[in-house]
Amino acid sequence: MIDVQPTMDDKRVMNFVSNGYVVLEGIVSDAFNRHCETLPSGQIDEFVNTPEFLKEVLMQPEAAGVARSLLGKHFLVPITAHHHLFETPHSGQFWHSDGISEYGYGVHHLQCYYYPKAVSLEDGPTMVLPGSHYRLVEREALAHYGNIIGQLSLTVPAGTVVMTHYGIWHKAGPKLNSTRRGMIKYSYFRSSPPKRDWVTNSDNVPPYVNQGRHPYASEVECYRDLIRCERTWAWLCGVEPNDDVCRGAKLFMDARPLADISY
Amino acid sequence: MKTAIKQWLDTCRAKLREGKLTEGDLLRLEALLTERKQMVLYLYSKSTNMRSPIASWALYDPTKPDEPALPSQELPYASVIEAVCDGWRIVQFPISKLYQFSDIDNAYLGYEFILEKWT
Repeated sequence: MIDVQPTMDDKRVMNFVSNGYVVLEGIVSDAFNRHCETLPSGQIDEFVNTPEFLKEVLMQPEAAGVARSLLGKHFLVPITAHHHLFETPHSGQFWHSDGISEYGYGVHHLQCYYYPKAVSLEDGPTMVLPGSHYRLVEREALAHYGNIIGQLSLTVPAGTVVMTHYGIWHKAGPKLNSTRRGMIKYSYFRSSPPKRDWVTNSDNVPPYVNQGRHPYASEVECYRDLIRCERTWAWLCGVEPNDDVCRGAKLFMDARPLADISY
Repeated sequence: MKTAIKQWLDTCRAKLREGKLTEGDLLRLEALLTERKQMVLYLYSKSTNMRSPIASWALYDPTKPDEPALPSQELPYASVIEAVCDGWRIVQFPISKLYQFSDIDNAYLGYEFILEKWT
């Protein structure tokens, strides 16, 4: 069995927990990117199962290292993929999450976007909404959203792989030109219980560090985001969360026990 | 020709023959000919308060073709009340009890105000 080494440390894992994606710029070789230049649109299962795709993309050390970090030692490697190809101007897709939302706070499924060619803003880049991956949504009920403060257009160099939490809101952005814009989409999956076995220098599990507020979040939502992230962090570390006897109040608990008081 | 205009023209011809055509009849015809269209603006406010900041927006303008436009991070209005000051009329307010949540879960993004303007 190939021994894939994890590449992420606590800081990068926490960043993924908060934002729901990792961008690996230009990790695929120019030669292989060119190899994809004439790839047709649609399902390309045969292509992703070739030794070249496995070596150059799926098992590329940085990409596989992220999968190893977030999905564990026994992560499952994709055997299917879809080539999303746009070659004419269009107004863009609607905001959506794929399939049905995958409930809970775990990380079981990394959906990846590989761009063999550089993508500019006019090419109709994929757009993602950082931090949207924990919202259980009726996907068709997102379709009327337009611009969202904090949305991100993935304008990337050739050979970039973006690895996302499956639930993240995304869409193909508006395309103003007729330049070929291809994206190969595929997924890695978890097959073993979570464990903090990414790159660490101590066995002590550090507390989750708040990664900041998403620009679209309201006051109460940023508290919710923080608790959701803390749960995901604990889950990924394989730590059972304690019963919340404070019923959420510990978020604001600047206080001391009675035993510490004397006067 | 649209049915309403044709019917009104028939009425006007009859009135003209009877010598009863008035300026009001012509104004009514003008109104029928000037087709007004509804623009719809969704504003997602960070609270149910109309003065709260905006998280997201979408403009649907039927007078313009559906052509690709680059995404934007420039808010059309800083708040719902600012849009109202610019002539937008609120046709639907967010109804708090429809926004489902548990203590830490919610599926929506902002509180949806729907506004209209007629062109």
